[in-house]
Amino acid sequence: MNLKPKLKRFFIFPLIGLLFLVTACGRGTSENELKVMLGSTVVTLDTAHMQDSYSFEVVADCIDGLMQLDEKGNAIPAIAESFEVSADGKEYTFHLRDAKWSNGDPVTAHDFVFAWRRHCKIADEYAFIFDSTVACIKNAEAVIKGADPSTLGVTAKDDKTLVVSLDAPVSFFPALMSFPSFYPINEKFYNSVKEGSYGTSPDTFISNGAFTLDNYIPGTSNIALKKNESYWDANRISLKELRYQVVLSSDNALTAFKNGTLQVVKVAGEQVEHIKNDSELSKQLSFIPEGSLYYISFNQDPKNHHGGVLTNVNMRLAITNAIDRNSLVNNYLMDGSLPTYTAVPQKFSANVKTGKFFSENQDRYKDYVSFNLEKAREHLDKAKKELNRDEFNIHLLYSNDSGDRITKIVQAVKSQLEANLPGLTVTLQPVPKAEYLRNFSTDNFDIAVANWSPDYDDPMTFLNLWTTSNAKSTEYWSSAEYDKIISDCSTGNLAINYDARWDAMYKAEKILFEQAVIAPLFTNTNVILTSPKVSGIEYHTAGVDRVFKSAKVK
Amino acid sequence: MAKYITKRILMSVVTLFIIIFTLFVLVRIMPGDPFPVERMTAEMIELKRIELGLDRPIPIQFADYMARLLQGDLGNGTSLYNGAPIMPIILVCMENSFKIGVMSILFGSGVGLMMGIAAALNRGKFIDRFCTICSILGVCVPSYVFMIFLQYFFAYKIPFFPYFFDPSNFFFSAIMPAVSLSLISIATVARFTRNEMLEVLDSDYVKLAKSRGLYGFKLIRKHVLRNALIPVVTVIAPLVVDLLTGAMVMEKIYGVNGLGKLMVDAIAGEGIDYNYVLALSILFSSLYIGIMLILDILYVIIDPRIRLTAKEKV
Repeated sequence: MNLKPKLKRFFIFPLIGLLFLVTACGRGTSENELKVMLGSTVVTLDTAHMQDSYSFEVVADCIDGLMQLDEKGNAIPAIAESFEVSADGKEYTFHLRDAKWSNGDPVTAHDFVFAWRRHCKIADEYAFIFDSTVACIKNAEAVIKGADPSTLGVTAKDDKTLVVSLDAPVSFFPALMSFPSFYPINEKFYNSVKEGSYGTSPDTFISNGAFTLDNYIPGTSNIALKKNESYWDANRISLKELRYQVVLSSDNALTAFKNGTLQVVKVAGEQVEHIKNDSELSKQLSFIPEGSLYYISFNQDPKNHHGGVLTNVNMRLAITNAIDRNSLVNNYLMDGSLPTYTAVPQKFSANVKTGKFFSENQDRYKDYVSFNLEKAREHLDKAKKELNRDEFNIHLLYSNDSGDRITKIVQAVKSQLEANLPGLTVTLQPVPKAEYLRNFSTDNFDIAVANWSPDYDDPMTFLNLWTTSNAKSTEYWSSAEYDKIISDCSTGNLAINYDARWDAMYKAEKILFEQAVIAPLFTNTNVILTSPKVSGIEYHTAGVDRVFKSAKVK
Repeated sequence: MAKYITKRILMSVVTLFIIIFTLFVLVRIMPGDPFPVERMTAEMIELKRIELGLDRPIPIQFADYMARLLQGDLGNGTSLYNGAPIMPIILVCMENSFKIGVMSILFGSGVGLMMGIAAALNRGKFIDRFCTICSILGVCVPSYVFMIFLQYFFAYKIPFFPYFFDPSNFFFSAIMPAVSLSLISIATVARFTRNEMLEVLDSDYVKLAKSRGLYGFKLIRKHVLRNALIPVVTVIAPLVVDLLTGAMVMEKIYGVNGLGKLMVDAIAGEGIDYNYVLALSILFSSLYIGIMLILDILYVIIDPRIRLTAKEKV
């Protein structure tokens, strides 16, 4: 046909043009640049509004608080060069070093006062960390409920001296100062940006920490940070650039790791087998305990819709002892998570004197919580007699939008309970996370798979959950003895006696298991792949999960 | 004609208003709070609700919302993004979605046109069959399969393109997302072009043109394409809206910060962000309604009979 040559040109020219454009745009990677995976988007860099560990991690790259944690989790100075505690442990005086914000302003004690007052005034999700449940800062409760922020127990004696008054001594207060809620904000800069837009872009955010913000908007999939040359500890930082890529699927994460797009990724349990079979990849695999506890929560409200079956302690003990946690972890999750028989997760909160983790001894409560079929059935028989019933149907509430991991857990729990406890049927009740939280906090469930991540490095971050006054004491359970021990440990006479406090916390934990308030399942573990070129990333179980200040790329 | 257009515009406005009202009520009666509550006490939650004005009756809240909306204020986030103003964030996401959408439409309609023309000119031959199979595949294969395939081969097996979208290297890293999205437009445009071309090629005026000695490229361009493309344009218009709003999976796979992902974040976060859900729904609905309105008006201008039949039915 006579139109063919012309048509060929019609096709070929655009194609050549496209190829030319494509090849012209290639881009290499630069040295000392670390590219890591982030499991979710960072929704804010404003510490007063933060709610998740990803935001904590990124803001901690950019901002230094009074203290920071070393690789073992001990508090070491950051912006505070030194500090003194009063004899009664209720007043801390921090002496600030000469540090600078990335806009050139000096970091002063006023920056802390401003940020803390603002945090309590805004009263978002993490405001509780200032009040008597955690930091015990004077007047925090009142300010959170609307009192004048200037009455908060924090004052700037001068530009370089910050005085914090507490209602009660807090043994882990210095470590707590590394938590992002206690980071400073430069008031002058804050007031210079448009209202509500602080921390929403590199133009509306300044840092005093290891990195400055290069590319960020809320919710972005790519965050780029650059080394902060004016950082007070700049010599320690060898990374020139730190880039975060949000990856939501673990399959994507693994391929991106294999082709070198990302150098640190988190993968899922079912990929571990595949990775272990690969001689190269298996060397780059590590299991990092996360310090978060998965447990079953029993709703003991007698009015709940299944006739208050779970008010029966034998029923709860039967369930607690009928779950094979080893099988749950090894056959279902397969990601190195640790079967747990304590209310405080494993590998969390080390004793400063012995160096041992709080829950090192997993057999401590084995009379109440274990995998023991004989005992489970014994309790079940008693429960049947006491309740005068042979058949039970209970609903298992869980949030179904946190991935298929939770589905595996509930399926394992359901099949184990139904096989091990004759007469019991478990109906799964999946709901979206928002509804889950609502049902959970209004006691609208039978049993629920719950998960708690620590906010600070002390067993109290867990034990506090089950006091009567705690709003999240969803278990409808209350014990005066338990409350007394917890309050003695946090604000009472035990607060400054380290050993006695530690023992009292074990006593409290025992009460939880005698009465089967919860059934612990496992301590969560992250499966991490790290490129052999990368070293020096520090992992923590509480607060800021990953720290890149000492990270190096060969 | 002016009367018809006015009526049509008024209808669009009413439709949009009904959509906004329904959504407004729906998001407020959905279970869950519009902010994260896992670590807050009941008292703190109550204070937050009062601060956000959620303790007032829904009609009053709606009146308030509409008053602000009419001044162009979409409000601030409730659970997402720091309570910061919504507008700048939506604009950034819209820019990403829009650019990738346009790239994909350009690529998709370009390739689709070429395939359609090639198929029509070689009716019954190998090229025709090949193009037909491709366009059937394009409609049948879910686009995410194609996305994963592309990403696996051209970013992993042959590491030529970047694995993830990267705004600092926009064009290059947006190629794969755009191409993977364009599958459906390639298929649709190719099929339509081929059918229209065949019809025009068989028409008397093309035969006449040929008999007058016109041949080759000039004939195709001047007489065939021009007439065959008008219906094709009407297919592309709704595709544009689909691409702008329906790219959630692509945005997830390539890590693009776009509107689809923003919508998912607003709904599936720890708290449902009322204002984002509303703002995005309004945006999506107005895009749809707007494009449909423009198309309807264009039809009337092109073909006045449409207006007459509408009148007769009334």
